[in-house]
Amino acid sequence: MTGLYRARRNGRVLVGWLTVVALLGRGPALAQQSDPEAGFPSTGPLSGYMEFHFNKADGEDGILDFHRFVLLLSHSFSSKIRFVGELEVEHAFVEGLEEAGELELEQAYVDFLLSRRLNVRAGMLLMPIGIINERHEPPVFNGVERPFVDTVIVPTTWFDVGAGIHGELGRGLRYRAYVVAPLNSLEFNAEEGIRGGRQKGSEDNVRNFAFTARTEYLGLRHLTLGASVWSGESNFATPRLAPSVTVGELDARYRRDRLELRGEFAQVHIGDAARLNDSIGRAVGVSPNIASALRGFYGEAAYRVWNAGAPRDLVAFFRYENFDTQFRMPAGFLPLKEFDRDAWVTGVTYYPDPDVAVKADYIYLRNQSGIFANRHLVNVGLGWWF
Amino acid sequence: MFIRMLLLLPLLALTTTSSGAARAAQSQGPRVIEISAERFEFWPSEITVAEGEEVELRLRSDDTIHGFRIIGTGTNLAIPKRGKGFATTRFIGAVPGRYTFECNRMCGAGHNFMRGVLIVRPSSRGTGP
Repeated sequence: MTGLYRARRNGRVLVGWLTVVALLGRGPALAQQSDPEAGFPSTGPLSGYMEFHFNKADGEDGILDFHRFVLLLSHSFSSKIRFVGELEVEHAFVEGLEEAGELELEQAYVDFLLSRRLNVRAGMLLMPIGIINERHEPPVFNGVERPFVDTVIVPTTWFDVGAGIHGELGRGLRYRAYVVAPLNSLEFNAEEGIRGGRQKGSEDNVRNFAFTARTEYLGLRHLTLGASVWSGESNFATPRLAPSVTVGELDARYRRDRLELRGEFAQVHIGDAARLNDSIGRAVGVSPNIASALRGFYGEAAYRVWNAGAPRDLVAFFRYENFDTQFRMPAGFLPLKEFDRDAWVTGVTYYPDPDVAVKADYIYLRNQSGIFANRHLVNVGLGWWF
Repeated sequence: MFIRMLLLLPLLALTTTSSGAARAAQSQGPRVIEISAERFEFWPSEITVAEGEEVELRLRSDDTIHGFRIIGTGTNLAIPKRGKGFATTRFIGAVPGRYTFECNRMCGAGHNFMRGVLIVRPSSRGTGP
């Protein structure tokens, strides 16, 4: 009897011990240190996002474009050292010396996660500017195409090689600050501002380094406030000039229940723009008419009109954008008013699944030239994340 | 005998903690803390519990699937997509300290920013690591 009793008691102890192990794994998380690597996947699954679009402007043929095919890779050397990579094919087809498409390495960095307040990141980085540049998965934003302001004022997707720090200081205050490669001022132009100047980590010239930083405040429920800056000398191609570039940006997002509001303001200053225009004009025969300041802003209101959960999930939105890549001109240059534009964008985003977005929108794109016609555009798109 | 005691030790420790928590649960249940997850943030991202307190963490996503892992503990679960329910887990503040939690399922370009901290405040008795 005694032996049987002991065996039963030992059995109960063993069951109890196993229960502890099970509870530690699945039940209450005991606040005690165990192996920090436990439960951490060494290699993440393949993730990515894709989007293809139908674009139709009045008086023009429609265009079907597989705009983006993006794969994200991740690997954890340990819980504190991690790699993230993002490889993108734009417009489906890439051919040498053609403008057909782009194969881009948009992110490839290693994070050294030291503490909540201070972490180090190095590699190919996304510039921490604005709402869209770091949050550009198709289900995340409304509209088939990204906002104009986040295309021609903040040149998303804006990425380059660099290194820096990031962290959260507590009470919802986050920061990131990087030293990165500068822009190439020879590639600036009147229509798209600084967009062409991105070196994209391809044998970047770093005669001067640029600096970029962003702070975000997430301490209030439903609200995110952000402020960003990018500053650098872009004179390596024009050593006798001093075309410094400064980008300042402010943004806010508010989401509560069915309502989401977004707003963004961005301004770009280009130093020595007059001499830059003269220099490029002498080299190529035509002045690029680069402005000394570019400015853009937008406000967007979205409402979830069908809120029963996917596949009964529909958002309607309206966005007003104002963007001018000729906002201020250097002395002796006149602005090209066709690049002083505003856009009324309205449309819907339907979510058959939270990670799949079917989008449709209409855009009235107006310019201030009085010569170039205003445009009406209809866009339909399908985007997904996995 | 020694082995038996070794086997019993963690059980006793948990039983002590759990029985206290169970008594509390019988009276009013553990405090429920709602956490929302969205690219690329948890809200709140800073949670404070008292030493010995048991809390229920109720996690809901506003967009895609996120992970929730408390580093240094066994907690590692998936938060279902928006509209697909929520995940729950319990956390017992047995040892004072700061416990980082993070999304451990790739959720986009800013995935590595998605972190937070659980702070276990020591009780007035001053027990701590």
